[in-house]
Amino acid sequence: MAKPPVVKTGAPQRRAFLKQAGTLGAASALSGTSLAALAAEASRITLPFDNGERELVAYPQKRPLILLTARPPQLETPFSVFNEGEITPNDAFFVRYHWAGIPTSIDPDTYRLKVGGNVNTPLELSLAELRQLSDAVEIVAVNQCSGNSRGLFTPRANGGQLSNGAMGNARWTGIPLKKVLEKAGVKAGSVQVSFNGLDTPPLGDGPDFIKALNIDQALDGEVMLAWQMNGADLPMLNGYPLRLVVPGHYGTYWVKHLSDITVLDKAFEGFWMNPAYRIPDNQCACVAPGTAPARTVPINRFNVRSFVTSHADGAQLKSGKPHALRGIAFDGGYGVTEVAVSTDGGKSWQAATLGKDLGRYSFRSWSLAFTPPKKGSYEIMVRATNRIGQSQPMTALWNAAGYMRNVVETTRVIVV
Amino acid sequence: MLRQLSIIAALCASASAQALDINLPPETAVFKPSPLPGYELVQRNCMLCHSVHYIQSQPPMSPRAYWEATVKKMKKPFGAPFPDEDVPAMVDYLVKTYGAERQAAK
Repeated sequence: MAKPPVVKTGAPQRRAFLKQAGTLGAASALSGTSLAALAAEASRITLPFDNGERELVAYPQKRPLILLTARPPQLETPFSVFNEGEITPNDAFFVRYHWAGIPTSIDPDTYRLKVGGNVNTPLELSLAELRQLSDAVEIVAVNQCSGNSRGLFTPRANGGQLSNGAMGNARWTGIPLKKVLEKAGVKAGSVQVSFNGLDTPPLGDGPDFIKALNIDQALDGEVMLAWQMNGADLPMLNGYPLRLVVPGHYGTYWVKHLSDITVLDKAFEGFWMNPAYRIPDNQCACVAPGTAPARTVPINRFNVRSFVTSHADGAQLKSGKPHALRGIAFDGGYGVTEVAVSTDGGKSWQAATLGKDLGRYSFRSWSLAFTPPKKGSYEIMVRATNRIGQSQPMTALWNAAGYMRNVVETTRVIVV
Repeated sequence: MLRQLSIIAALCASASAQALDINLPPETAVFKPSPLPGYELVQRNCMLCHSVHYIQSQPPMSPRAYWEATVKKMKKPFGAPFPDEDVPAMVDYLVKTYGAERQAAK
């Protein structure tokens, strides 16, 4: 077999405090022996769609997770993790990158966050200076990939083929973005704020991963610069040492390894805001399968979702015995107020009991006692509704990018 | 909900911290061998920037139009440095190995 060429990493903006992975030369060599050895050890999982076979691989600071891509690392959380509780452990939290030039070594003492653009006083802040800008705040919030569940689309949508595990819920600690922008002094006429992290395109010519928020949202006091999740430093692969947290909004905005904040007097037009990460400009963010939307807008808030976590598809239950159905629900920040469960494929519905309220951006657990009256197969469905009456569709909505799936999920169990 | 926290812990931890270093596991995915001329090209051109997973995990009925658009997207706007002449053979290998024109798909 021909060996791929070895290429030196471009690392165009290499800085003193960081080391980067990137092109193949910077990663490990592909040797025949190590290939065979690893293949024998790897455990595997099959996601519920065609071509859904995956390896489970343990990355640094992570337990074995579902490997979507190795370079850059993209890892999905095995769904059973969501039955461990409302909080997703750091070592099980999903990982998503766009470019292979990711930082693999960061010195927190020399790390700096730059704040510039349309401001009175450009800043260059160390982590210690950042922590002293304001009292720390914390928020429990779900982060979810725009393409979570894309592999379940019918017809299929190209892109990262994820099942339902590109989401997680954590307690984030940091300071409001607003405090940093106030310190720099946002000038009148500012329209947006852009965010860049230390990850870079491996060759330097591709569009750097930069995202933007409207100025009102950037100053809303909820968007946060976080250095901890669940009481510990961010794992490297989740954005160490600092990431943006945009509660209720898709993960694309949660820029990792945050290094540059730029206040803009016009809308940011980079690739990752347009044409990437756009949704149809209508109420359902959907179109007829196979068609293109007339107009698009940047993806923004989560829609409502809910899942059964206590039982997997195909699970067996004893007839006539009480079983506890459990799961999670969340939305874009209005808060889930009601979860309804059907055990007969949607013919009848019962209200589930909601668990502890960890805040309106958090997973909300739910439970319902279920005593199957007789043997046979049962379709368990779950549907959540939020404070403003938004809910979930009974049939899946479609868009070409495979974003925002939120159909009422069905779990098929066998009662014996 | 936002909640005020004591920052004492953060201030106490101001002693010099160590750099966080990670080592990524080895990349093991490889392209499926093929007599098609695109086989050599995809190894050289695709793996320069990303692992084979991006290709092998796509829906298996992805049509030629998808693979062509995607290979072209890697050049522009993504900046991959391979020549235009490589594109047809790369697309042919990809759709016949991973897409709708696989032997198994016919």
